Amino acid sequence: MEQFIANGLCKGSVYALVALGFGLIYTTSGVFHLAHGAVYTTAAYSMFLASVLLQLPLLVSVGLALVTAVTLGVLVELLVYQPLDRKQASRAALLISSLGVYIVAVNLLAMFFGNETRILRSGAEATVSLGNVILTRVQLAQIAASALFVAVYWGFLRKSPLGRICRAVADDPVLASSLGVKVQATRLVVFTLGSFLAGIGAVLIALDVGIDPQIGFPVVLVAAVACIIGGLHRFIAPALGGILLGLIQSLVVWQTSAMWESAVTFTLLICFLLFRPQGLLGMRQRLEER
Amino acid sequence: MNYIFHILTMILLYVILGLSLNLVVGYGGMLSLCHAAFYGIGAYASALLMMDAGWSFLPSLAAAVIIAGVIAYLISVPSIRFHGDFFVLATLGFQIIIFSILNNWVAFTKGPYGISGIPRPSVWGLKIISIPAFFALSFMLTVVVWFVSGRLAKSPYGRALEAVRDSELAALALGKNVTRFRRSAFCIAGGLAAVAGVLFAVYASYIDPTSFTLDESVFILCVVIIGGAGNLRGPIIGAVILVSLPELLRLVRMPDAIAANMRQVSSRFAFSSSLVSTISKIKPPTVCANSSTPFRPFKALPAAAAASIFPSVSFTFADK
Repeated sequence: MEQFIANGLCKGSVYALVALGFGLIYTTSGVFHLAHGAVYTTAAYSMFLASVLLQLPLLVSVGLALVTAVTLGVLVELLVYQPLDRKQASRAALLISSLGVYIVAVNLLAMFFGNETRILRSGAEATVSLGNVILTRVQLAQIAASALFVAVYWGFLRKSPLGRICRAVADDPVLASSLGVKVQATRLVVFTLGSFLAGIGAVLIALDVGIDPQIGFPVVLVAAVACIIGGLHRFIAPALGGILLGLIQSLVVWQTSAMWESAVTFTLLICFLLFRPQGLLGMRQRLEER
Repeated sequence: MNYIFHILTMILLYVILGLSLNLVVGYGGMLSLCHAAFYGIGAYASALLMMDAGWSFLPSLAAAVIIAGVIAYLISVPSIRFHGDFFVLATLGFQIIIFSILNNWVAFTKGPYGISGIPRPSVWGLKIISIPAFFALSFMLTVVVWFVSGRLAKSPYGRALEAVRDSELAALALGKNVTRFRRSAFCIAGGLAAVAGVLFAVYASYIDPTSFTLDESVFILCVVIIGGAGNLRGPIIGAVILVSLPELLRLVRMPDAIAANMRQVSSRFAFSSSLVSTISKIKPPTVCANSSTPFRPFKALPAAAAASIFPSVSFTFADK
């Protein structure tokens, strides 16, 4: 029991990171950023390229993976979303083009690296036992890193001037731009930050369970669900949703089997959409009326 | 020769899927990502009815259509309360739930092992075994589906559906029951998609859940959008292009190991990019891809290569 809760927490903390990035991008730019999955997968693969194929030290390859993630995220924003936005494309068009970017990126990765699962670590991971819970070092790193970055993220949005500008743009882009805020530059900041968080999540998961070209999509879907469960009116809420989903998935695996993981996730999504569309921490306004 | 008929049969399957999804996406203006689920429900329902209950082909076809229609209706009830991103997300959720059920409810659907040995159909005493005969059967069913969706689209019902798509408020003001139109379109589309599912089941005589994934839903959406949503020729053109494109690429000789991925990338590249370029037509305030707009699939395709990286480039093509 404790073991499953601990595993769920580890998984949930990574979901929380990806979901925070997804939620920040969604609230600020209004893009349903499915290509977040591509950013995630690409970060994991550049980690693999650096640490396994090129044998670079761990920290260097983590840095490389993060740089790749941020570059890709910003490029997608600059080359796909902003031109579409200038054409005043609908949100559905943005969503579909985002899906298109994801499909192309993943297939290109599969072309270069192959479809098989790759393992990043060599041999069994050293474990640490706390009471009757046994965790690997990577799992500890997952919890520590996400606690750190969630705190930093919260501080950034709450306290720093730039964070305040981000929140202003999320609240009302037209009003913000009429007050002299550079909306497009702010969106770039948001995509940088979101992709960075996705990159961290990707590295942490890649080190734990390995990678294949399809890993990104389930994670970004879970992130989207986490945003809705947590609510989109508070920037920290997706993290709560992510941790909750990690716990629930882990409990589902414990009670039944791993097969029903995604079914439970999406049933939860439908229930939330029906009965509490504003999310756990949300305000009374309905999501779709935003 | 059988190869040609095989390709033609596959094209017809996707014509049926495209025409049915067209009712939802083109005429209804709802971007649905769970069409492969109804395709799968049709296939599984008919296969189970024929194998376990011993039904013959035509009754199980009818039953599969009804089952898929009912399930589509049930799915539409919660989904249609949402618009835009959240509708897409809700349908995507249902797609994954249904796939998960097909894949995991082993006692009922045999799960990932799939159902094999689905009997060949016989229609009015005529046993259909050869591939050209299958082609003839698919052709007849496609004509039926085309006729049904054509009649629907041209009828007052179809016009009301388009009105709901173009301006929900105006349709409401004219006393149209917006929710009912959306739900019924979704339901009919689900039922028609089941026709393709049944055909697929008896044609391949083996089905497993991997044929009915989210990717398949995206592919069907591509069929509709590349050809041009909101008219009756669009899905046909889309199906011809998207099904024959990988086969044409097969003719370009390539080492087998690379060829598989290369084919996927290049065809996907073309799909997703022309998707991006053509979707620009479906943007509010009015959805302009109606039947009076000339559809321009070939104009969109040359721009496709660059489009997914530089969508702005393709827009300048497509807007001309």
